[in-house]
Amino acid sequence: MNDNQTSCTLGKEVGLTCCPTCNKVTCANSACCSRCDAKLIVRDYDSLQKSWALLITAAILLIPANLYPITTLTNQGQVTQDTIFSGIAHLVKTDMIPIAIILFTASILVPVLKIVGLTIYLTAISFKLPISKKKLMMGFHIIEWIGRWSMLDLFVISLTVAVVNMGQLLDAKPAPAATAFALVILLTQLAAKVIDTRLLWDRLEIKNDSSTDT
Amino acid sequence: MTQVQTPKVVKKKLFSPIWLLPIIALALGAWLGVKSIRESGVEVRIHFPSATGMDIGKTLVKYQGLTVGKVVDISIDDDLQGVNVDVLMDYRSSPFLNKETKFWLVKPKASITGVEGLDTLFSGNYIGILPGEGESASFFEAEISAPVITPGNEGLIVNITSEKLGSLDVGSPLFYRQIPVGQVVGYRLDSSNKIIVTAFIQQQYAKLVKVDSQFWNVSGISVDASLAGIEVRSESLAAILAGGISFSSNDKSPSAENRHEFALYDSEKQAFGGIEFTLTANGTESVANNTAIVFRGINIGRVTNKILTDNGISLEAKIDSKYAELLAGTSSFWLEGADISLSGINHPERLLTGSVINFIAGSGDPLQQYPLLTTKPEPKNSNKLALTLDSDTNPGVSAGAELRFKQIKIGTVLSSKLNKALTKVEYDIEVDADFSSLLTKGSYFVAESVLSMEANLDGVAVKARELNTFTNGALSLVKGASNQQLTNGASLKVFASSNEADNYFENSSLITRQLFSNDAANVVEGSPIYYKKMQIGQVNKVDWQRKSNDFIIDISIQKTFASLLTDKTVFWRNSALAINASLSGIEVEMSPLQGAIKGGITLGLLEHPAQGRENQLYDSKFLALSQSTAITMTFPASVKLAKKAPIRYLGHKVGEVESVVLSKDLTELDVSAYLYGDYAANFNQQDASFSIVDAKVSLSGIEAPETLITGPYISVVPGISTQTASRFVGLIDKPFYNLDNALTFIITNNNLGSINKGTAIFFRGIKVGQVDSYQLISDGTGVEMTAHIESRYKHLVNSSSVLWDLSGVKVDVGLFSGAQIETGSLETILSGGIGLATKEVTSVENMIAPQHKFPLNAAVDPIWLDWAPKQSATD
Repeated sequence: MNDNQTSCTLGKEVGLTCCPTCNKVTCANSACCSRCDAKLIVRDYDSLQKSWALLITAAILLIPANLYPITTLTNQGQVTQDTIFSGIAHLVKTDMIPIAIILFTASILVPVLKIVGLTIYLTAISFKLPISKKKLMMGFHIIEWIGRWSMLDLFVISLTVAVVNMGQLLDAKPAPAATAFALVILLTQLAAKVIDTRLLWDRLEIKNDSSTDT
Repeated sequence: MTQVQTPKVVKKKLFSPIWLLPIIALALGAWLGVKSIRESGVEVRIHFPSATGMDIGKTLVKYQGLTVGKVVDISIDDDLQGVNVDVLMDYRSSPFLNKETKFWLVKPKASITGVEGLDTLFSGNYIGILPGEGESASFFEAEISAPVITPGNEGLIVNITSEKLGSLDVGSPLFYRQIPVGQVVGYRLDSSNKIIVTAFIQQQYAKLVKVDSQFWNVSGISVDASLAGIEVRSESLAAILAGGISFSSNDKSPSAENRHEFALYDSEKQAFGGIEFTLTANGTESVANNTAIVFRGINIGRVTNKILTDNGISLEAKIDSKYAELLAGTSSFWLEGADISLSGINHPERLLTGSVINFIAGSGDPLQQYPLLTTKPEPKNSNKLALTLDSDTNPGVSAGAELRFKQIKIGTVLSSKLNKALTKVEYDIEVDADFSSLLTKGSYFVAESVLSMEANLDGVAVKARELNTFTNGALSLVKGASNQQLTNGASLKVFASSNEADNYFENSSLITRQLFSNDAANVVEGSPIYYKKMQIGQVNKVDWQRKSNDFIIDISIQKTFASLLTDKTVFWRNSALAINASLSGIEVEMSPLQGAIKGGITLGLLEHPAQGRENQLYDSKFLALSQSTAITMTFPASVKLAKKAPIRYLGHKVGEVESVVLSKDLTELDVSAYLYGDYAANFNQQDASFSIVDAKVSLSGIEAPETLITGPYISVVPGISTQTASRFVGLIDKPFYNLDNALTFIITNNNLGSINKGTAIFFRGIKVGQVDSYQLISDGTGVEMTAHIESRYKHLVNSSSVLWDLSGVKVDVGLFSGAQIETGSLETILSGGIGLATKEVTSVENMIAPQHKFPLNAAVDPIWLDWAPKQSATD
């Protein structure tokens, strides 16, 4: 116990907590932050639920995002609808493999990995999975960092829609999947953002303890 | 620490509201999933003959313009006869995918009505679908063309059969009173090679179609161009472009059922039907299909077909039903075109529209067949006078020519033809009843020419008729003198011109004569015959008589002048210019110019009955009036004799040489001459002598000096024979002619000396006679000279007379007697002379006979000169 305390002491154990807004360390008993008067919460256990909910929503939305066409291209009256995958396949077919790789990474790999990663992350918190704290944090950071790049697809679409607008001759429009995809990205980002990482830390301490114990 | 704060009891919520989010997403996703599964469509397979124009993923299935499906796959069928097209149909279309449902390929079409399916140019062809009844199916055989019924419309479908499609097409509108009530939805060629046009009529108009409705094509523009203007009709702009069908219905008839069959007519006129009948004709050059049948200027029908039959041409014609009652048993039809004549153009519009068939109604039941006449039939009930005319030649008069009287139309020529014997032209004419009284016995017709020019020496006369005479010609009636009217069938004559008519009638009242002439007398047919420079007749004919090598000239003289033709009548030819040149002057006589050109004959009257050959044509007036007698003479070839040389008796002209011809053997001249009638009897005795007289220049003077200018002439001395002759042998020397019972005798001498023909005989220095001729005595012993003493002096000569030579100059030169020069007159010095002295008084006893011979003494005995008997010239 002492070892633990010396090596790593949790603030809540010493009655301290951190203002979620201005990061001032305050007494955990205080209801409000003395500095910024924000409401102090020692541990937001609800965030786990929120994150799960968002994550599940994102996962659900990932299905239409990939099944439905993401763009509708009208080229000389011919309407072609592309799903994300068919778009990538089209790029591969037209020998634009680097772009295809980027697109694949940004549009398929990253969202899926993010969801998977967040699932693991949340599962680890909720069900106290025996995963290394370091690995989890590293994965979490990667997810957070890389998640924003998933917006690439949407940027491309929005730019294309804005630029290519010549009526029946050539016209690009976002298709339903674009919304879904955007929601997936948004929800995963929110899911990552909303979670109170301190819960993880709590679990990790336990886990770490147990691991160090063994 | 001990201080225990009352814990804030926070009731833990079981679920955060955030969980609504995944639930919503899930619900939404589920809904989307279900929806997409539901709307994923039905996949059907359509078998097409070819996949032309179809692309996987692009070719759509459209129903009423709504995309209901999409080609998702195309594959070749198992037996390689076509393609199987897999189509993903919209889920909502599944109720329509039944056994009777039809699919067909719609291709973009640019037609005159516009571009149909412009979108297909970009989006490509699409597949049309027509839902049908029956069990649900998923395999279909594609239609080759669009089915006739466009889906989605309730209405009436009618089949309209037509011979040709024209400009009709799918989409061509149907009009009822110019309101579009439907459209053509399809057409096809049926087994009997007719085109069946299927038309759709919208529900609200379906009741307008009756079982006996008439459909006609209103495609395009109907241009009715007449001289009155141009009328352009069309149902609508769309009908102009796409064609269209109009129809009309009888309100009382029952409505038509679906799929009722109708016939499509080419035009509204045809649609309304009419009575069909046949017209027969021999030739129908100006008749074409649609040649109008006109009744009083109204088109009541048209020719619908021309058929060549064994008997000519058979025209199928139709009269519009509203005029049907006009057609009757006695109706007649005739062809009428534009009538262009110089007086104007009748029906000029027909130059453009072609001829029309004119029609007059009749009575009785209509027939199936009528003859097509070439001319307008005349009303049968009129009391027209039908006559025939005959003419030697057709003076340009054809059927339809007018008959005129004083340039007023009184009738028409119905036909012109050759008569049976092919010798004359016959005309059938009709004279209007009003004018039939004009045609009396003796009337005749004269062809009128449009322009008659009569150019003669009197001037040029140009006569022009109104110009419509130009086409058919016209006949002018010249009324006869008689009042006896003609009846039907009578025959009259036609003359090509009034001249010809005049000639004809003149000829019929002319007296003809035949004249004889040695030559053609410079006359030709038509040469005038004058009497005192007035034309009284003309030459009809000039004929050469082979046998006698002379000419017969037929002349005719107007009856008025019949009294001129008596036994005193003579004829002579007019010479254009008669110049009677003599030393006494020149007389120039010119005949009228006409006579100068055409020649001419003048009739003259003698005071006494003509002596010469009857009907002889004399060469000149003089010859004629003098009743010349023709004689011929032969002269030695050395004689210089010219034509027209006169025949003179004692210096008076009694005849004229007509021609001088050197005979073939070059030895003599054949001279033909006339003796003027008055004198002919005196000179045509057998022994009349004709001798040539030429100028002779001698010392005694110039004999016949006038012949130096006029040329030699013939001198004639009458004979005493009772026998007449017309052939004479001409003499070189003029024989002595005992003109007035002169005393003739013969002088004999040794030689002629200076005695010559014409040497004068002087009595007391006065010429009382002369030597007429001399000749050698046949035995050569001397010369005999024939001499005469003029009758008034003949009593001075008797048997006691002596004659001596006075010729020359007698110079008697003696040494002692001296020179004695004796001369007579100068004339005797030059030409010699004979002296005459008589001793006794002439009595019956000593009168000399004609052949008494006196010797010519060489010199005068002075005693002779003293003789001076007192002669009395009593006898």
